[in-house]
Amino acid sequence: MDQNDSTFGVQLFIYDLSRGMARQLSPIMLGEHTSIVVYGEEFFYGGAGISSCPPGGTMLGPPDTVVELGNTEVTEEIFMDYLSSLGETTYSGDKYRLFEHNCNTFTNEVAQFLTGNKIPSYITDLPSEVLSTPFGQVLRPILDSIHIAPPGGNVISSQNNHS
Amino acid sequence: MAENSGTDPAVETNTEENAAASATIIKVTVKTPKDKEEIAIAEDSSVAQFKEEISKRFKAKQDQLVLIFAGKILKDGDTLGQHGIKDGLTVHLVIKTAQKSSSGSSQTSASSGPGPSQGNTAETANPSPASNLGTPEGSGPSPTPTQPPNILAGFGDLSGLGNLGMGSANFMELQQQMQRQLMSNPEMLSQIMENPLVQSMMSNPDLMRQMIVFLYSNFNILFLLVKTMELARNPAMMQEMMRNQDRALSNLESIPGGYNALRRMYTDIQEPMFSAAREQFGNNPFSALGGNTDNSGVQPSRTENREPLPNPWGPPDTTTATTTSGTASTTSSTTSSTTPSVSNPLGISSSSLGNGMFNSPGMQSLMQQISENPQLMQNMLSAPYMRTMMQSLSQNPDIASQVFMNNPLFAGNPQLQEQMRQQLPVFLQQMQNPESLSVMTNPRAMRALMQIQEGLQTLQTEAPGLMPSLIPGGMAAGIPGAPLPTGVNVTPENPPPSGQGPAPAPAPTPTAGTNTAQQQLMQQMLQMFAGGNASTPTPEVRFQQQLEQLSAMGFINGEANLQALIATGGDINAAIERLLGSQPS
Repeated sequence: MDQNDSTFGVQLFIYDLSRGMARQLSPIMLGEHTSIVVYGEEFFYGGAGISSCPPGGTMLGPPDTVVELGNTEVTEEIFMDYLSSLGETTYSGDKYRLFEHNCNTFTNEVAQFLTGNKIPSYITDLPSEVLSTPFGQVLRPILDSIHIAPPGGNVISSQNNHS
Repeated sequence: MAENSGTDPAVETNTEENAAASATIIKVTVKTPKDKEEIAIAEDSSVAQFKEEISKRFKAKQDQLVLIFAGKILKDGDTLGQHGIKDGLTVHLVIKTAQKSSSGSSQTSASSGPGPSQGNTAETANPSPASNLGTPEGSGPSPTPTQPPNILAGFGDLSGLGNLGMGSANFMELQQQMQRQLMSNPEMLSQIMENPLVQSMMSNPDLMRQMIVFLYSNFNILFLLVKTMELARNPAMMQEMMRNQDRALSNLESIPGGYNALRRMYTDIQEPMFSAAREQFGNNPFSALGGNTDNSGVQPSRTENREPLPNPWGPPDTTTATTTSGTASTTSSTTSSTTPSVSNPLGISSSSLGNGMFNSPGMQSLMQQISENPQLMQNMLSAPYMRTMMQSLSQNPDIASQVFMNNPLFAGNPQLQEQMRQQLPVFLQQMQNPESLSVMTNPRAMRALMQIQEGLQTLQTEAPGLMPSLIPGGMAAGIPGAPLPTGVNVTPENPPPSGQGPAPAPAPTPTAGTNTAQQQLMQQMLQMFAGGNASTPTPEVRFQQQLEQLSAMGFINGEANLQALIATGGDINAAIERLLGSQPS
């Protein structure tokens, strides 16, 4: 069905963390967590690197908002290649930074790759907004050392020739 | 050649390009996951030509290149203009690593010639074998099928314990249940956030810093306590769940990566917490609170006398240590296991105030913070859930103790656990007592308590002989009571059994408790004048136990230890502080 030049729908899952269980357990997590859903899988970036799971399958449950990003011609194979490269370089687990290089950064980049569209700006602007408040400045050193990785997914590593 | 066809319609390099018209050179950014390059190319070139440039720049074969723009895969036969690729735009590139077996991409190698049909077929051929590869292989590039929700992994203890008592062994369900419950009670959080006091607090960064650290260091406890609210209602069930949980948690280890994630998350959260807390308090605040790890040897000598005797001088309640014990460990303080009374709602005994639990720098700063920010305590205590939690906990002391014991902050400190365990029922009841609440929220009261503490501390250093007698309250009354007849005469000799409050029990204390406090005090003072302090056995003998402990802890200067012990009347904690005070380190 999906092969041969047809397009694949790409969605953006937005999890609003200011209410709900995740907030209780990780009061440090600010704003939104986002992930990309394509090929029937959900992909996101966290302290463990790039991970994937069935859509809505992280412990955050179903998303609060779903944004249709459009369609892509990129096949799953190419996409996985792409993700592997990303995971080895700019999006490895240790490069996670809660404010500057987080799940939303990843989502934004992948969205552009797949569809050419960016994710809504209010999500990407959040870190700079927070950082500009005194509250954010205070939190920053503590938060910088904390990595967020909503569990429930598998980490994608270079799986090209070995799975 | 064919490098950057920089200049105008450079004929040389552009011989291959469509000489449609003057080709405007545009700079297109080609971005790979690893890096990006700017490639100048004629605006109307074909994708194939573009790929040629790219393959040179990226040192990859053209057939390995997959170009994506606006979600579309650029086929060799297309032109850049077709896709709307203009100057300054970014095109994504994926360099396919050598694909497995049939690389249908070999067909695309004919990209040099702009043969549209061929290019197209090549391109179409490409994806199909690729996707064919994809499907049969299945597991190749696609991620391994996700595990059933072992979602617990990343959140370790916190959510683990929080899920107990929900009556379900399946984690996913547990999580969802918990989420549902919390979702149904969001007022809790919004209440806190909306409280203008909280908001004004938030705008003060220094305060926030302290708050955060305070909260972090308490977070474990607070969170666990809130969760056990539910559990406290059903203790038997909780035991069961705990066991299930432990079993399940141990299963997590078998999941690839799950255990690591668990450890990592735990460490990631714990470490910043602790280091932040450490900065603030100088050391782990809760071990500092205990401050009595060194008194392990002295613990057995704790007295059981807890009767509150109406002694206006001494603390309303007797405590711990001293008296009735054969050892000369005077104010072995080992914390306040005093029974609280109305006038002493928190059960703070002077002995413990003078040393040990409340005297540690950590606790002091904590107290300071509390007294400076009465609202803090008030907020914390007045939250409705806090009340219910306290109530439940006080009804189920076992659970509370279990919760406390599991708290990793206490884990390394069995003495503290012991103390907390005994303290708990009392402590919890006191939290209920509105009077104690008002004490905690009343900054003046807190300050007064601190002053008392300081005063006692001073007393201790100034008059170590006096302190031990004061501590046991009525008990001490007995001791001087016995030698009373002799003591009153202020004989120059120092009657051996006098002077020390803890002195051997022999003092049958016939007059115990019957003397007025005033008399007792007088006698003690007289004895002090008469005999000085720490008489009877030589200090070394008396403090032998403490000395051993001190040297075990690393204070090798025996003489200094002894001096310190004498000065503090045998109180190890205060002695340590003296020793440390003299060698700032």
